[in-house]
Amino acid sequence: MAILEVKNLKKNFGELEVLKGIDFSIEKGDVMAVIGSSGNGKTTLLRCINFLETPDAGEIIVNGETLFDAEKKQSTSEENIRKKRLHFGLVFQNFNLFPQYTVLGNVMLAKELLEKERPDYRKNKKQIKAEIEAEAKKLLDDVGLSDKLDYYPHQLSGGQQQRVAIARALALKPDILCFDEPTSALDPELTAEVLKVIKSLAESKMTMIVVTHEMSFAKDVANKIIFMDEGKILEEGTPEDIFENPKNQRVKEFIGGIATI
Amino acid sequence: MIELSLMFQIDWLEVKEVLFSLNEGFIKSLEIFVLTLLGAVPLGLVIAFGSMSGIGIVRWFNKFLVWVIRGTPLMLQLLIIYYGPGIILGNNWWGSGATGRFIAAMIAFILNYACYFSEIYRGGIEGIPKGQYEAGEVLGMTKSQIFFKVVLLQVIKRIIPPMGNEIITLVKDTSLVRVIAVYELMWNGQDFIKSEGIIWPMFFTGIYYLLFSGLLTLFLGWLEKKMDYFKV
Ligand SMILES: Nc1ncnc2c1ncn2[C@@H]1O[C@H](COP(=O)(O)OP(=O)(O)OP(=O)(O)O)[C@@H](O)[C@H]1O
Ligand SMILES: [Mg+2]
Repeated sequence: MAILEVKNLKKNFGELEVLKGIDFSIEKGDVMAVIGSSGNGKTTLLRCINFLETPDAGEIIVNGETLFDAEKKQSTSEENIRKKRLHFGLVFQNFNLFPQYTVLGNVMLAKELLEKERPDYRKNKKQIKAEIEAEAKKLLDDVGLSDKLDYYPHQLSGGQQQRVAIARALALKPDILCFDEPTSALDPELTAEVLKVIKSLAESKMTMIVVTHEMSFAKDVANKIIFMDEGKILEEGTPEDIFENPKNQRVKEFIGGIATI
Repeated sequence: MIELSLMFQIDWLEVKEVLFSLNEGFIKSLEIFVLTLLGAVPLGLVIAFGSMSGIGIVRWFNKFLVWVIRGTPLMLQLLIIYYGPGIILGNNWWGSGATGRFIAAMIAFILNYACYFSEIYRGGIEGIPKGQYEAGEVLGMTKSQIFFKVVLLQVIKRIIPPMGNEIITLVKDTSLVRVIAVYELMWNGQDFIKSEGIIWPMFFTGIYYLLFSGLLTLFLGWLEKKMDYFKV
């Protein structure tokens, strides 16, 4: 069964149709790269999946459970939306770390707030906190930042900040982790260290959707690629399909254009 | 030699009388200062949220209020609030006593400063990048958790310097209440010009203001420093 199915997803901003019916599905452990030129709705797609925007039409189904169906009346209670959101994680282009928390604090905050709602929180407070902290430290170790636990975001490089952001998203154990151009605010050296982390997540079978302009990364790490153009998926397939034998003319031009740069 | 020492003879009785009077005036000024802050800090928040409200009429009412209050002198507001009811409505709410004058002064001050504070708060809140809220949302935090755990401290850090400026201004603005005969520090200092023909108490009031605003400046600087550990 697909871990995520997106059906006929549409989103308008006023008159502007940004998503014109997006369909795809991914399996557990898939890494799907979303490519395409600027302004084609890639970010909007991720935002819809993460419930930062409400789609105008379509369905979002996770593990067979319909989280969103534009046809049906949605429960808009905060409680409900939060539950749905927790299936997903989102890593932003510009990190959006919380500046007043340390690296460790950034990774722990949301999980701590969530665990506070456990009925046994008061009783086992110490133990729960210790678990959250141990988990956060392990995640930070995985992204290579175990020596920066007490740093504040402004004391880190962009690449380090982005790795904290990845650990922060992982702390909530999302089913699907989404990245919106995670390296486009970074220079090449820092890009490499972030891509390395994403690659190691792929190796550990984390399900991911990565919007990216890094074609070599898409080629290496993704097992599925969708090419978006003007709010539609123009072509989808394996990296070989897209990079070696693109069928669509636009895709050919895009890939060719990049190859010649 | 003797004459010279006579010339500089300090009249300790007079000094005592002056200091007593200035202290009394200073207490009044301090009361105005503290009560204005106590009232205007929370009321400013209400006005700030009002002027960011999604409900058009609420937003426009608050924006209009802020425009009027910030666009006219505080002294004018004091006069209108104190004399207005009696002259326009033919009913002087404030009575003729010192208490009524003080209450009228406090209303004018709290309203005035709340409007200034509201603009500072609004700037502080609107200056927080949308990404901070969205990062909280995708991490499954509730709106109130995002406000209290993520946004609030950043807003506080941002507003300390402009709030500091307003608060220092307030120290000096307290002297305006004299236009409706609330006997604060400067009134009491000036009184000695008329009654005793001496000017030094007037200068001396300046020292009170300087010491007070100096202490506040130190405190605000300390607060800013406390928040230096992170950048927004
Ligand atoms: N909140 C919004 N209101 C109005 N228009 C929007 C909004 N968000 C995005 N758009 C518009 O939707 C279109 C798609 O934007 P989107 O950010 O999804 O593109 P993108 O593919 O991510 O582009 P890029 O590669 O530059 O990041 C753009 O024309 C953009 O101006
Ligand atoms: Mg984008």
